[in-house]
Amino acid sequence: MWDYSDKVKDHFLHPRNARVMADANAVGDVGSIICGDALRLMLKINPVTNVIEDASFQTYGCGSAIASSSALTEMIKGKTVEEAQKITNQDIADYLDGLPPEKMHCSVMGREALDAAVANYHGKSYEQAHDDGEIVCHCFGVGINKIKKAVWENHLTTVEEVTNYTKAGGGCQSCHMRIEEIIDEVWMDLEKCGVARPGFVPTPLEGIKIATSTAPAPASAQSAPAAFDSKSEASPYFAQVKAVLQTFNDGLPADGSEVVFVGIDGTTVQVKLEGPAGEGMMAEMTLTFLDKKLKEAAAELAVKRV
Amino acid sequence: MDSKNLGEGLGGTYLDNNATSRIAPEVVEAMMPYFTTYYGNASSQHGYGLPVDRAIAKAREQVADFIGAAYPDEIIFTSCASESDNTALWTSLWTQKNKNEIVTTKVEHPAIMDTCAFLSTHGVKVHYLDVNRQGDIESDKFEALLNERTALASIMWANNETGNVYQVPQLAEIAAKHHVVFHTDAVQAVGKIPVCVKDYPINMLSFSGHKIHAPKGIGVLYVRRGTRFIPFIHGGHQERGRRAGTENVPYIVGLGVACELAKAHMDELNTRVRALRDKLEQGILATIPECMVMGDEGHRTPNTLNIAFKYVEGEAILLMLNEYGIAASSGSACSSESLEPSHVMQAMEIPFSAAHGTIRFSLSRYTTQADIDKTLQVLPGIIARLRELSPYWNQNKPTIAQADHVFDPDSQEVRA
Repeated sequence: MWDYSDKVKDHFLHPRNARVMADANAVGDVGSIICGDALRLMLKINPVTNVIEDASFQTYGCGSAIASSSALTEMIKGKTVEEAQKITNQDIADYLDGLPPEKMHCSVMGREALDAAVANYHGKSYEQAHDDGEIVCHCFGVGINKIKKAVWENHLTTVEEVTNYTKAGGGCQSCHMRIEEIIDEVWMDLEKCGVARPGFVPTPLEGIKIATSTAPAPASAQSAPAAFDSKSEASPYFAQVKAVLQTFNDGLPADGSEVVFVGIDGTTVQVKLEGPAGEGMMAEMTLTFLDKKLKEAAAELAVKRV
Repeated sequence: MDSKNLGEGLGGTYLDNNATSRIAPEVVEAMMPYFTTYYGNASSQHGYGLPVDRAIAKAREQVADFIGAAYPDEIIFTSCASESDNTALWTSLWTQKNKNEIVTTKVEHPAIMDTCAFLSTHGVKVHYLDVNRQGDIESDKFEALLNERTALASIMWANNETGNVYQVPQLAEIAAKHHVVFHTDAVQAVGKIPVCVKDYPINMLSFSGHKIHAPKGIGVLYVRRGTRFIPFIHGGHQERGRRAGTENVPYIVGLGVACELAKAHMDELNTRVRALRDKLEQGILATIPECMVMGDEGHRTPNTLNIAFKYVEGEAILLMLNEYGIAASSGSACSSESLEPSHVMQAMEIPFSAAHGTIRFSLSRYTTQADIDKTLQVLPGIIARLRELSPYWNQNKPTIAQADHVFDPDSQEVRA
């Protein structure tokens, strides 16, 4: 069970300002039933002084979502809109003596509801500033674009650095693998632009031709064109087999796994297995799959590891 | 965390027995000498080893008798059902190198689901059987997925969340007809419904001790004689070379006693406990509007009730129940770390408005009439209170002119 502070429990069991305010002049709706939490923040803003004279909420969600909503209404009552907007989601969490890291998004939802209510007060529909793209870190609501930008501009190389710059991955950590992927994706582009990746051997960019004014990318050993004997090249299956292997290799994980085409002897396709796809139990599976694929192209073909 | 959050210990109302169960006092008593007096290693060739060896043999017989195994040597003691499940999946692949497909369901425990997901990244093709809105599978669809490349069919005997009981005897017959090795994760079935493995062509069966009032840390893999087997853990001759590691003697002894007790109490589960579960179910449906029972009411384990309360969120319900010393569990996203409702509810295509508000009550032979009465007394108030807070529940609430958006519980919008 979540280890909530006494203050979270207090605000959950005895929520402040939990009611519908029929005469509210600012209403902020965030969240949805699919996301599992939703909040309607209702404010009465004095049009002359801009002071939030009353605040109430309705929340669907877990204990910390209800507590964060309750805390927010208490924090903003009596403040001007400008003052209230200086409140951060961290302030909400602090007010509650902290939230479990995985529950920080509850405070973010509260903060977003305030923005939504202010937009509604000004007669605007709230378009959340989520040109962030796919949300990667749900604890802090961080999108892929924000992470990519931080990695690109600052040449970040570790998840920890990404967390320091964007907070992404600082909660439940379940997005760390995705962040690793994003870092890698950005570095593929950075490398294309000639930025050397610290501690990395240049990534072989098979099949990608990039026009650069600098020296050509180092040729990778694996992508070097293999020499075939004349018997293989003369085989009627040569082009077919090459195509099957190309497709097959594209489907293998990018972990160094590769099936290397050695040659054709009659109807026997000779291959070498590289990387994890050629190790232990996997080798047999790789060969079985490949054999199936070759037979789909031409039923008489058979694969042989050499 | 202070103790008042811990469900007031044994004085509390523990209705989460599908998660884990109270250790029977008889089990603890039987285990104690194997911590103190009989600490020997069963493999030793001296006087310390012999009584331990005998105790393990006795427990093996008790377990075999409990699940209806033809021979005690078909019982392998493991550390938990997850280990048993992993072993069953891997061994079926290792012993049949010409086969690389697994057939299972979309509602399995993570011990099967996650292992299959991992295997599928390593070249194994996994077929997941769909379930309907009641969480049931169709045997015709099961049969259609079997072929000469199927290394294993693994179907749970009873579901942990809904309590749904699957037709494992029938499915095992179908698998046998196609010469497919059949494994069942019976963690939630044993002790609750009759399980007699020798009557059906079940090759392997997994279960754990801690769901049947033995401690955590002990599990069983039943492997029928004649089933090809390669161990998952190597490094010793224990369990006749099928599971290395010095035997966890006190826990094995405890499991044996727990199995004997579970067998003796099986009738009670299906009479007294079932009646309490039915009372809880009917009481909730009669007093709380907008709630519905999840799963197949006609085919459930007698101790399990999964019920969805619309417009409120499961974790909030659990927190309030906890204030009254009542322990249950939820399939909601917020009560786990996944941010998604349970995969079982998703597979059943339960609408989000209900899936986030599912609560599972799971009883045991220690559950009393008073536990159920107390739950029925406080639950309507808890749901009413949370609905009072919920923007999706609009009964008797004023409307707001300023609102430019409607909270529709059936909408598909995602506004994170």
